[in-house]
Amino acid sequence: MGSQKQKNKGVSRRDFMKATGGMAAAAGMAGGGLLLGSKKAFAAEMPEKWDETFDVIVVGSGFAGLAAAYEAKKAGASVVVLEKMRTPGGNSIINGGVVAAAGSPLQAKAGIQDSPEILLQDMLAAGLHLNHLPLARIVAQESNNMVQWTINELGVKYKDGVTQEGGHAVPRMYSTYNQSGSAIVEQQLEKLAALGVVPRTGILLKRILRDNDGRIKGVEVREGYLFPKEGSGRQQFIKARKAVVLATGGFGNDVAFRSVQDPRLTQELESTNQPGATAEALREAFRIGCTPVQLSWIQLGPWGSPDERGMGLNPFFAQLCCAMYGLWVDTLTGKRFVNELADRKIRADAIIRAGNKCIAFTDAKGYALGQKALGEIMNRLIDRGVVKRHESLEAMAAAYDMPLAPLQETIQRFNTSVAAGKDEEWGRYLQKDQFPLETAPYYASRLMPKVHHTMGGVRINTDAQALDVETDAPIPGLYCAGEVTGAVHGAVRLGSCAVVDCLTFGRIAGRQAAAEKPWG
Amino acid sequence: MPQLCSLVRRRKFDALRRRTMALTLFLVVLLVCAMVADSQSRDEQARPGDCVACHGRADVLPKNHVPTASMDAADCRACHAKGSPLTLVAKIPLGHLHQLHGITCNQCHPQGTLAGPLTTEQCLACHGSLEEVIARTATTRPHNPHGSPHGKTYLACDLCHHQHTWSENFCLLCHDFEYRVP
Repeated sequence: MGSQKQKNKGVSRRDFMKATGGMAAAAGMAGGGLLLGSKKAFAAEMPEKWDETFDVIVVGSGFAGLAAAYEAKKAGASVVVLEKMRTPGGNSIINGGVVAAAGSPLQAKAGIQDSPEILLQDMLAAGLHLNHLPLARIVAQESNNMVQWTINELGVKYKDGVTQEGGHAVPRMYSTYNQSGSAIVEQQLEKLAALGVVPRTGILLKRILRDNDGRIKGVEVREGYLFPKEGSGRQQFIKARKAVVLATGGFGNDVAFRSVQDPRLTQELESTNQPGATAEALREAFRIGCTPVQLSWIQLGPWGSPDERGMGLNPFFAQLCCAMYGLWVDTLTGKRFVNELADRKIRADAIIRAGNKCIAFTDAKGYALGQKALGEIMNRLIDRGVVKRHESLEAMAAAYDMPLAPLQETIQRFNTSVAAGKDEEWGRYLQKDQFPLETAPYYASRLMPKVHHTMGGVRINTDAQALDVETDAPIPGLYCAGEVTGAVHGAVRLGSCAVVDCLTFGRIAGRQAAAEKPWG
Repeated sequence: MPQLCSLVRRRKFDALRRRTMALTLFLVVLLVCAMVADSQSRDEQARPGDCVACHGRADVLPKNHVPTASMDAADCRACHAKGSPLTLVAKIPLGHLHQLHGITCNQCHPQGTLAGPLTTEQCLACHGSLEEVIARTATTRPHNPHGSPHGKTYLACDLCHHQHTWSENFCLLCHDFEYRVP
């Protein structure tokens, strides 16, 4: 089946039933048995000749894609990884290197009680319960296992100690030794290379080739593609004997597509993402029948800075030194305006509501903690003028044209809370070693929310299978993992849960893809 | 949400960017013209003054330029010293410099092989280990261009350094780091 001739004359219902196996037929039937005589809307012409053939084609080379490739290869499949940019790693390799692990050994060492169930509740609360529960549950349950897997299987090195992002009930984040996702991606690349798989860069996905029988058969790509040059590269057809894994990431840097989903997110807004974080692969997934889910939920990172481009380094200072140990204040009022450890959406919205005149600051002790945890990063932040040193509170207030008396009052009130062991004003989780803010000099940075993570995407099931928009059944031969998928995090993703999401579903996708029955 | 928009400062280097883009466009046009003019293949034995051997025309150098036929890279530097206004760093494709240093085509593209792009390992065979290259630019500001925190794959030489066209600053894709890339 699938020959050019047969397709041209059309496939009758009898032919279809005869030719296809259970899943695809069931998918077709579930859709009301609508076979309109000739070709399905999603169906592509199959090429007469494939340029290359692999068992599993992985599109995208971030955490999810590389995890999928690794598992598929280990399971004995032949694997190719396609990356459209000139470097592998996507957003993952520039990510901040924090990974949630609920109930981890590092937490036990610090005397912090935690469990996957508490993480799940945090994810659902931030996600406004829009999360597809079975997916979110897998991430919560796997978080600690996944971190241990990166240590034991990949050899990833982490710092000794846990930190806390907004929306988490307790500190539960591991930080890679270099505070970058590159520490994980590099290990993934190395492990893959040892198995003979090296991502091919400069290869753009043009079409996912879904045949009239409903199965995914391969992809059409542009080899030698020069991002972002439309039409560059050479057309190639690659056959996937078993499956295609779509791990193409989010669309935070695709102004056209993101502002369709959320019209406020125009080009005026910066993004933390790499420039290749665009939606063309997602559009293609929808074209061939994937189910879109929750595309409008796009997260702004509240800890961005107007004094550096993209993700930059300010998130580390604003989060660790200030949200955990210092304060965020509105310079117009000199007062706190949000729980500094609320989820990212609550904080980003609060900054915007306050008129984008907010700063994050800490005192000498908070800065020293930052230097200890972040090392060279703190020097760079000072060097680049993103974080500024102020000799006194008076000097800091003057630098941001901030009223002094309310600022002093705010700090006094916080220090009273610290003494009492409870944040009366905003209910923030207080660190076990929280100190009163009173030691000059003070350090501060300006805050500017930036487009960070796209929660929505392709609908998947717990086996990472993409589900058909027409039938809700799995699309045979197509798996999706990572930011290209939706509904794991609901309305708001918690910081440090993305890595777990990507690795977990990437690995599931890779294993499942390798276990598929080849179609030809 | 007008507030959302207002938060974005208008970068003062927007104008600079536009100028840079215009200049880039001009250079690209120039390059295309040059490539059309230079459709003949490169002569691997070409000597410095023998522009015709590769470019197919004799007027590559400015009018009244001193004869270069017997020169090597050191002779060129007598006028085009690094740091001087006449420096050629980042102004001509690197292939020239290799050729002037006596690194001929075949040393990078062995005879009988297809002249494809080189791997980083091939570059490092002459330029020292990755660690040495990183150390060489340790004091460069605002950031060591060879000290990327994004891992080894971001240190592939040919992301920035090109031989047969002008080099580029790959970091600019995401950062504001201004480097003159040789």
